[in-house]
Order: sequence, then structure tokens, then C-alpha cells
Amino acid sequence: MRNLLNFLARYNNLIIFLFLEGIAFYLLSTGNNYHNSRLLNGVRGITNRIDAKIYNTKSYLSLHQINESLAGENVALKNKIAQLVRQENSLFFSANDSVHKQQYTHASAEVIENSINKQKNFFTINKGESQGIKVDMAITTESGVAGRIVGCSRNYSVAMSVLNLDFKLSARIKSNGYFGSLSWDGRDYRYAILSEIPQHVLVNVGDTIETTGYSAIFPEGVIVGTVSDYEKYGGDFYKISVLLMTDFKKLHFVDVIGNMKKTEQLNLEKLYK
Amino acid sequence: MINSVLRFCLIFILLILLQVLLFNNIQFSGYVNPYVYLMFLLLLPIEIPSWLLLVLSFVTGLIIDFFSGSPGMHTSATVLAGFARPYVLRIVSPKDGYESGSDPSMLAYGLRWFAAYTLLMVLIHHTALFYLEVFRLADFFRTMLRVILSTLFSTAFILLIEFYRRGK
Repeated sequence: MRNLLNFLARYNNLIIFLFLEGIAFYLLSTGNNYHNSRLLNGVRGITNRIDAKIYNTKSYLSLHQINESLAGENVALKNKIAQLVRQENSLFFSANDSVHKQQYTHASAEVIENSINKQKNFFTINKGESQGIKVDMAITTESGVAGRIVGCSRNYSVAMSVLNLDFKLSARIKSNGYFGSLSWDGRDYRYAILSEIPQHVLVNVGDTIETTGYSAIFPEGVIVGTVSDYEKYGGDFYKISVLLMTDFKKLHFVDVIGNMKKTEQLNLEKLYK
Repeated sequence: MINSVLRFCLIFILLILLQVLLFNNIQFSGYVNPYVYLMFLLLLPIEIPSWLLLVLSFVTGLIIDFFSGSPGMHTSATVLAGFARPYVLRIVSPKDGYESGSDPSMLAYGLRWFAAYTLLMVLIHHTALFYLEVFRLADFFRTMLRVILSTLFSTAFILLIEFYRRGK
């Protein structure tokens, strides 16, 4: 007994240290993976208020650039409307199909917290369940893909950025339609890696990379970036370095896109897989 | 006694605010992320009981984790730094030892001593932090570069703040 007490007295610092590290590692292992980032929202509710204050100041200082980007977006939207009006009259559809014209819903939101310097980056937007945001919606900016929602609270949502080691996206080369898998390698916030493109495919520096729409999260044809460099990787495939169109360092206004036919597509696919 | 507790509370709040409002938003490139909040642990009195030091490290790390959205990461790195502090103090101890009741500050023991002490502590903290963040050995040397660069920057910022503190 006395030996035991001596032991405890001698090593009490080590014991406290191990105990506290134990708690820290428990937090680290349960709090950081992708699904549990939803739990994090509870804590984020507190810090979000402060983040919102910081954000307010920042947004005032950058009004000029925001104006420019909004004007650009307006032009793009007008073009889209023009195209849609033309298409509408030439399509056949079933009379009771209320979503025949619209597969995707759009909502705009503002990024109030963002990081690019970690290996697993997330950002927070100022809309949540009350505004119709749901998990697994896609997030784009006017220039390209940005991420996807992983968790919602009432008025805020946390999204996994493209700059996250866990982020995977099905993307293709626009000119020839060959698709592969896009992910981030954690090195440079401006570049991502497109893999699984076979070596017989003709790839050029400057080729546009866009989404495929296979995952039912991102709509088809959203710009991801351009090919900046490619090299042979393994026996059969290219490893293509993609210059991302979205500038994650000044992520501000984003477009949240929901797919109304997602459940239908996934349920059908589940039957045969 | 009460006075010095109040003083450390003030330093604590100021450093946390500085880290959260300013330094968390600084990204020089993908490689440099200064973390100056560690300075709080550096400034605590030399004769502070180890258990209190560990608990304070834990609380500091936890608060930073809340703001960075990375539960456990800063906590474990900071607790490790808190545990290492007595050993670091022994390694860098000046020739005639520490005076009793003194703070480990630049004013008391000089710039060279404080720089060495800060560099060692920051290095321990950043090594743990960045390797925990990556959590794999694949990019070992790239992570090491990040650790070294960030350590240099954090140390520089902490020295700057200490200079400013002394100037007052």
C-alpha cells in the first residue's frame, strides 16, 4: 500500500498528463471524422456568433469585389434563362410531372467561416434547415465547385470543402468525355488531382474539367478547373493536376444546389447494385 | 496573489482573441500557420504546480479547438507542451539557476534565454500538432517542412509580443 502511494506521489504528473491526453485523443478520434462533424454543430453554435461578427466586418470591406462578382453572375443567369425558354417549348413531358422543368433547386448563401490551411478543410455557410438546406447538397460558386454540405443546424450549415482529403468528386474532361475521380492531395489550395484517366486518352494542358453528375449531388457540367499538368502514374493511368477555378482563399457568395430527383435515382440504383 | 491571477486571466483572454481573430485568419502559404496562443503557457510562473500547468494547458487547447473546429487536436498538442515545460526549463536553465518567485520572461532572463526557451516549446507543440493533423506518415517530409516554417514564424511573433510587453 505504501509503495503504491509512493508510486502515485512520484508519478502524479505523468498520470494527470496521460489522463488529459486520453481525453484529448478521445475527442480527436470521435470528433474529427466526417460523419461526426455533424455533432460539432452543437459547439459551433456558440462560436458561430463570434464568427458572424468577424464576417460582418470582412464583408463590408469587400463590397466592391462582391458587386463585380454579382454582376457577372447576373449575366450568366440571364444567358441561362434565354436558353431554357428556347428549350421549354420543344420538350415532351407527362402532364402530372411537376418537376419536369426543374431538377435542381438553387439557393444562395454566404460563407461565414472558412479555412484552407488544414488537411481537412470545412467551411460554414449562413443558411440551415430552416432555409431548406439539407445534408449532401452541392455547393458551387459562380466560377466552379466548392464543396458539399455535411451537417446542418437550424440557421447554419457546415460544408466539406474540395480542399479536404476525404472529398471525392466524379469529374470528366469536357472535350472528350472521359471521366475519373477528383480529389485533393493536401499540398496546394489551388490544385486538385484527377486520377483514373486511361493513358490512351488525349489530354492537353488547358483542357476544361467539369462534373459528370453521376453522383447525383453535383449537376452535370459544373466547371471544376483546367488541366495544368499531367504525368503517367502506374501502368495505365494519368495523374492529372487540375488548377481549380474556385479561389478558396476568397470564398464568399456560394450557390447551394439540391437535386430533386436524387432519391429517385439512388433508390433505383440500389435495386441493381 | 489575486493581482497576478487577474493579470494571467487578462493575458489568457488577449492571446486567445489574438489567435482566433487574427492569426487563425493568416495564411502566408499552405505551409505557415502561426499559433501564438502557446505563449500563455510560456509566461506562467516558474514555480507553478505541474498539475495546474497541465490543467491550464488542457483548457487553453480546448478553447482553441472550439474556435478552430478541430476537437482534440490542439488540446493534445498543448497538454504535451505543458507536460514538457518543466523539462525544457531544466534544459535551458541559466548558469546560476532560476530566482525563486520569478516569471520566465525576457525581462528577467534576457533575449537569448527567452528565444531558446520559446523555440524549444513551440517546436514540441507544433511537431505534435501538425503530425496529429495529417495523421499519416505518407507526407512525412512535407509535414516536417510545415512544422519548421511555422515554428520559426510562431517564435518570431511570440518574441515580438514579448518585446511589446516589455516596452510597456
